[in-house]
Amino acid sequence: MDALANELKIRIIETLKLQDITPAQIDDEAPLFGAGLGLDSIDALELVVMLEKYYGIVIKDIEEGRPAFASISSLAAFIRARKSSP
Amino acid sequence: MANLVITAASIVTPDDLNRFQFGMRFGRLDSVCQLGLAAVEALGIDFASQPRDQVGICVATDNGSLSTDVEYWRRRNEPGGASPSLFVYTLPSMVIGEIAIRHGLTGPTLCLMGGSDGLLTEAADMLRRDEATACICVYCDVVSALAAETIHLPATARACAVYLQRGVQGLHVLAANDRDIIPLCAKLCT
Repeated sequence: MDALANELKIRIIETLKLQDITPAQIDDEAPLFGAGLGLDSIDALELVVMLEKYYGIVIKDIEEGRPAFASISSLAAFIRARKSSP
Repeated sequence: MANLVITAASIVTPDDLNRFQFGMRFGRLDSVCQLGLAAVEALGIDFASQPRDQVGICVATDNGSLSTDVEYWRRRNEPGGASPSLFVYTLPSMVIGEIAIRHGLTGPTLCLMGGSDGLLTEAADMLRRDEATACICVYCDVVSALAAETIHLPATARACAVYLQRGVQGLHVLAANDRDIIPLCAKLCT
């Protein structure tokens, strides 16, 4: 199991105050927005704040983060890439 | 003009929130909206069977979004800033939007700040002007522990609601002196 992906699921549930859902119920590849978790534009801003707060990653342009927010897997890959880049 | 009749009434506190199923996103709402939605749910009205553009929503509150405002202000210097979803609820009339979205209602709306007195009068006027055939009237008020400590107000969290309609049988025919929803709900819900 991808530890970062699992951590992200826990943080997303906590940050977005999702009720009646567990990390195990979130598919790594399922879309976070629209279908899947059904997140919206306010949630997108919340995820931007979450990335800065917990991972020190600042997204200045929401378009930059759009591909990253496609799924848990893409978000984990985005964080790894930003952490490994100088 | 047909009588204006209250067909349902409710009173809720935070202890009542788990009586209802609001779905995965209920946690995002602030306490005012949660209580307001619960008070409307407790009316037991099937809004799907009502003409959606003929149901008005009138909300009154004493402290509005004050508790959310205080929390937002306290968290403004956190990394990344305060929660964006918290910011949404720094608007006192948000509860109207949440009720309208949940039940698909598109009728007229009104938000009164400064107390519950006059809420029923305004709702009755809305019906008498033929702007709607029914009106959800909600009083909800929250002063969180943090707001109480910050602004030196007594903490509170409560909501009550009535469903006001024209020309039907119901619990109570609205009288001219029924201006304050709080004592009326207390009477109708006991």
